[in-house]
Amino acid sequence: MSELAIDIRGVTKRYAEHVAVENLSLQVPRGAVYGLLGPNGAGKTTTIRMILDIIAPDDGSILLFGKRHTDAGVLDRVGYLPEERGLYKKMKVREVLKFLAELKGVPGADAETRIATWMERMSLRTPEKDWGDSKVDELSRGMQQKVQFIGTLLHDPELVILDEPFSGLDPINAQALKDTVVDLKARGRTVIFSTHIMDNAEKLCDAVCIIAHGRKVLDGAVSDVKAAHAGRTVAVAFDGAPTAAVDAVLRNRALISSMDDQIRYLELELADGASSSDLLQRLVSAGASVQRFERVQPSLHRIFLEKVGATGVEAGMSGHG
Amino acid sequence: MGKLIAIIRREYLERVRTKWFVIATLLGPIMFFLVTALPVFLTAGTKATAESSNITVIDATGAELGPRVVAALSVGSGVKPALITVAPTESAAAETTATQAVLSRQREGYLILDSRTMLGTKARYTGRNSTTFRDMNRVGRAIDKAVLGQRLERAGIEVSTIDSIMRVDVALDKTQLSEEGRAQSGAGNRVVGLIVAFLLYMVLIIYGQTVLRSVIEEKATRVAEVVISSVRPEILLAGKIIGIGGVAITQFAVWILGSFWIGTNVVPMIMKSKAVGMSAAAADSVTRSNEVLTSLPTLSIGLVLIPVVFFVLGFIFYSCLYAAVGSTVNSESEAQQAATPVVMLLVLSAVFIQPVAFAPQSTAAIVMSLLPVSAPIVMPMRMSLVSVPAWQLAVSILGMLLACLAAIWFSARIYRVGLLMYGKRPTLRELFKWLRYS
Repeated sequence: MSELAIDIRGVTKRYAEHVAVENLSLQVPRGAVYGLLGPNGAGKTTTIRMILDIIAPDDGSILLFGKRHTDAGVLDRVGYLPEERGLYKKMKVREVLKFLAELKGVPGADAETRIATWMERMSLRTPEKDWGDSKVDELSRGMQQKVQFIGTLLHDPELVILDEPFSGLDPINAQALKDTVVDLKARGRTVIFSTHIMDNAEKLCDAVCIIAHGRKVLDGAVSDVKAAHAGRTVAVAFDGAPTAAVDAVLRNRALISSMDDQIRYLELELADGASSSDLLQRLVSAGASVQRFERVQPSLHRIFLEKVGATGVEAGMSGHG
Repeated sequence: MGKLIAIIRREYLERVRTKWFVIATLLGPIMFFLVTALPVFLTAGTKATAESSNITVIDATGAELGPRVVAALSVGSGVKPALITVAPTESAAAETTATQAVLSRQREGYLILDSRTMLGTKARYTGRNSTTFRDMNRVGRAIDKAVLGQRLERAGIEVSTIDSIMRVDVALDKTQLSEEGRAQSGAGNRVVGLIVAFLLYMVLIIYGQTVLRSVIEEKATRVAEVVISSVRPEILLAGKIIGIGGVAITQFAVWILGSFWIGTNVVPMIMKSKAVGMSAAAADSVTRSNEVLTSLPTLSIGLVLIPVVFFVLGFIFYSCLYAAVGSTVNSESEAQQAATPVVMLLVLSAVFIQPVAFAPQSTAAIVMSLLPVSAPIVMPMRMSLVSVPAWQLAVSILGMLLACLAAIWFSARIYRVGLLMYGKRPTLRELFKWLRYS
């Protein structure tokens, strides 16, 4: 049994006008919660669709649980929540769920008991009201999202793939989703989700992969990624507005590669070869009244911006990542 | 396999359970009943019979022909015509009285019998209903019968035997024979052929559109992506076409069996009850409807099986095209425009239904029955009209099979790509590119 839930090697997908994913390799260990990060149009959705055999890569190989993802039954072990969500509007909730379960090879009778459990868990079936017999379009948007989660997880997949799962969720459902991810991890399931909201990734993920323009920028365990970038970020605050001399130091490209104004303090990225003590010395000698000077652990958000850069965000292709 | 069945079952059950389906399915045989039985009701209606009897008969023959005509017209109507017996010279005065009766709306018209009527050449009718074919036909037959009866009596034949001699009602079986071949039973089969062709056209267009809408629904609600993350798009497409095809077959089975049951049980029963004491004219029209109806049971197994085979092939062909169109658009309103080329192919075949029905052996008819786009409609119709050579049938079915394979190949590729493409509709050039994506 392979230790990797997902093993992608050298995958490329070209379209007529552009390359969506280029020579991408990534490995997701079993039991991990993995974040696929990148700006819109980076190739996240394309990558996910290739994992699910919705589109075929031009090059490269994709293994799930050590088997080719096109092998019979392999995709039955995967649950998928697409970015654009939807259900058959005129069908009854219970029928939709049963249908989705059957598509994953769950026999009808088995599906019904699972649906009952999930409906109660998601409070779609309460003593007062059973929404299972309602048509999908009679449900509120939030309830429809719950039904969609259930559909993704009904067959108890070993690997759960969520494409931009937090987009369009109300806070209650977002919390329910987070709880679900934590629960899945506790039960040894593998979860991979794409997002461009770094906060969610930082809180939930064991490991991440940042992609931009269809290429991998970096990947690894969140702690490793942060450690690799530690010591390069400094938070600085002054008493009063900085003088012209201080400003000149801050603009020195040999010292500071980038600066992010957080209003109450400045987040500075040290340039290669520059040290924090060097920076502090220069600031003090320029007459700055330093209120705060602290080496901080960079947030994923910060690392993301640094690695992908503003160009990567702006150059994102329209449509799906 | 289990997944394909799940898709087929969903497509089938979700449609068969709708109110619309139940209503449309039950309405079919009722429509058939109305179409076949209504003319019988209209022609056999007692009102029409009463009108043709509510007349004045002026007997100027001096030979007692009037009472015979009155008797013939009284049968089965419950209204007795008035009889005025006059000398040949006084008929003008009697006519004035009868005219008054018509103008005061006491009578519908008047009939003058004179010496020429006795010779069997002429009688004269004037009245409000003189242009009503069935009334005039009935009056004419009554006169014929009266004259004939009187002649037979004069020839010395007993009154009791005259009745039995004159009780003649031959049903004419018409078979058409021409250079173009032998039409198996004339009008009846032409009607069958037209019905078969029209039904095939209807089912292809109605259920082709259903496939179109179904594809668009899955695409618009974005449920398609969830489904094709579990099954290959080809399986989804196949399940959809089989499921919806099953709905079509269910509906048409109910329509045909229901109509057949009504045609063989209900309609004859009604006609029998109506035929008792019916005028000759009405009886004749019943005979004509009967002729159409009785030719229905003569449908051979082949005549039932062939349309089914052509329906299946035609449905696969057209629904593949519809599915391909559906996957390239974002909404139903866009689809109407995009589906126009497919609809045109079907309409073109439908336009030729009537010409082909009347010249089933013409070159155009033969070509249309061989071309895959029109074969599913034209060939079954030709086969119900004439005996089609085996090679033509073989070419037609083979052509359809090849066309189906091509349509499946083509639409599976378009469908696969189109299902995930939103936004601007693709140009033809882009569609060709899609065909090359693996």
